[in-house]
Amino acid sequence: MAAKIKKILIANRGEIAVRIIRGCRDLRIDAVAVYSDCDKSAYHVRLADEAHHIGPSPSAESYLAQDKIIDAAKRAGADAIHPGYGFLAENAEFAQRCIDEKIIFIGPKPETITLLGDKLQARAKALEAGLPVVPGETIEGDDLKSSIAKADAIGYPILIKAAAGGGGKGMRVVHEPAQFDDALQRASSEATSAFGDGRVYLEKYLERPRHIEIQILCDQHGNAIHLNERECSIQRRHQKVIEESPSPVMTPPLRQRMGAAAVDIARKTGYVGAGTVEFMVAEDMSFYFLEVNTRLQVEHPVTEMVTGIDLVKEQIAIAEGEPLRYRQEDIKLDGHAIECRIYAEDPQQGFTPSTGRLNHYRIPAGPGVRVDSGVVIFNEIPIFYDPMIAKLVVWGSDRAEAINRTRRALQEYRVSGLKTTIGFHLAVLENDRFAKGELSTSFLSEEFPDNKYEILDDDILRCAAIAAALNKFTHERKISLGPKRTDREDTSQWSAVHRRQRLRWFGGSR
Amino acid sequence: MPRYLVKVEGHEYDVEVQYRADGYAVTVDGSPVRISTHELNDTRSVLLVDDRSFEVDVRSNGHDESRVVFMLGVEIAAEVEQYHLAQLRKRAGIATEASAQKVLRAPMPGLILEVKIAEGAAVAKDDPLIVIEAMKMENVLKAPADGTVKTVSVTKGASVEKGDVLMEFE
Repeated sequence: MAAKIKKILIANRGEIAVRIIRGCRDLRIDAVAVYSDCDKSAYHVRLADEAHHIGPSPSAESYLAQDKIIDAAKRAGADAIHPGYGFLAENAEFAQRCIDEKIIFIGPKPETITLLGDKLQARAKALEAGLPVVPGETIEGDDLKSSIAKADAIGYPILIKAAAGGGGKGMRVVHEPAQFDDALQRASSEATSAFGDGRVYLEKYLERPRHIEIQILCDQHGNAIHLNERECSIQRRHQKVIEESPSPVMTPPLRQRMGAAAVDIARKTGYVGAGTVEFMVAEDMSFYFLEVNTRLQVEHPVTEMVTGIDLVKEQIAIAEGEPLRYRQEDIKLDGHAIECRIYAEDPQQGFTPSTGRLNHYRIPAGPGVRVDSGVVIFNEIPIFYDPMIAKLVVWGSDRAEAINRTRRALQEYRVSGLKTTIGFHLAVLENDRFAKGELSTSFLSEEFPDNKYEILDDDILRCAAIAAALNKFTHERKISLGPKRTDREDTSQWSAVHRRQRLRWFGGSR
Repeated sequence: MPRYLVKVEGHEYDVEVQYRADGYAVTVDGSPVRISTHELNDTRSVLLVDDRSFEVDVRSNGHDESRVVFMLGVEIAAEVEQYHLAQLRKRAGIATEASAQKVLRAPMPGLILEVKIAEGAAVAKDDPLIVIEAMKMENVLKAPADGTVKTVSVTKGASVEKGDVLMEFE
């Protein structure tokens, strides 16, 4: 068996760096942080055992700079690098470089990352493994006429997707043949500029699907298990906003089938580590393979809450060469967990990023509440990175209790200095369709078409009016009384202290 | 007795405040309200309104009459005017200084990708004016109110800091 890992460098920042540092410290492994210029006083730097500066604030010169991260790892004497999510997490070249430098990369093998990072190849593997995929066609090398013929054969609406894609870039929905030519051109040019790869493919566009994904764990000895599903249908612009486990519509037989499909593709691709197999689920509950994310997901804590398994700990054990300590039948599903991604954004202004300093920041606590926060009070929120500042993860014995606790926890937040999406999350949690679990990826655009929400009743607005009036009143009163009065108070207090001190000294009691 | 007209999310409240030795005497729309308040620091306080408990953080919003109230996890914008001045203003039929937003400022540092409107153009509330890129996201800044664009202070490709004036209206 391979040797125990003693020191891990976390090639990331924000809440996920904090999460991984906590995982290391729970195992008594030294945690090494890296930081850019603007992250000198970031929370992950403060929590780590060691912190190494890796360059200027733009991520290309710091968190994406492979040389600097490898250098820092060598300088620190780290045996392993955990990439978190984003940045270098799904970069096969970086994974290979770690291996070349004899540093353990905590993640799948580079060839697996390459294979699954290409949507066309991943799709082919899924077909090979017998997984249902959304009806679709590759159009590599086709002229426009044969592409249109393929689109007709699939049937409209059609989704054009970038082969190298992600995050909604290079993606176009086409509702009728007349729009096809234009959409194809734009998808391809967007894919070229975003990924340097203009290849696109066609897929049947599913109306109002659910996004349900399966967490997998695979060791280096060919053992693979799944840790139930997460439903991530609450999305805005293809970005997940609220996730939960279990899915409100899941049944044990469907979970068994989807879980088996996820484990199948993991085995077919020689997957090692923690990963996520994403599916789209149609209204008739038929499911289709979407893609495999070869990393720890943002929303991994909801799985941890309902299974009791620490995914970072398992990732580290797998990287050390340990066999999985759980068999499929050991995986339990206890209660219900919900995660809200808290962003420094202004929902009322179309979710524009809100930068600034956290003048006040108090996070919720109490039964069932876990906050994975990347920031602390007085932190500046830099403009260079993702504006997610924290994740609120809440456990309840059932979905209704989880919703009520999440609502309570959101109301416990005290944040000032920046705008956040906390109020928007509250509005979603108060929504009737959400309460009933009637979700789809178009939920937010249907229920909150203008991002408008009303969570404040008259009574609360009246209290806000009183608070504002009292603030103006005291402000005016302080001005009218002038600074003199406070000065005099200050002076008299200091003189009193001074007099006491003199008495003590002269009294010789020192 | 100081009396204010407070506008919150489209609602108006008539708030009278009196400071007495035993605390504040407050009436809202003529009805007395029991208030207990304890200041935690310059902006934050614990506020009990008829024993209903709130933790509030009230900040000035760049204007003497406007306030931002953080409470219950959300941010509420409020305008506080002297009551008699508000009545005079209403009789004269003019908007408050704070609500008649004459300038558009950059809400964040970023890069101007597009200026959609030229000087002299008439705009309606929520018309798209400027596209700004920040945090790798494109954000559309919209007209705060109906009006006419007096000046445009930025061009495509300009870098702006938070709070920079981008446009002025009349």
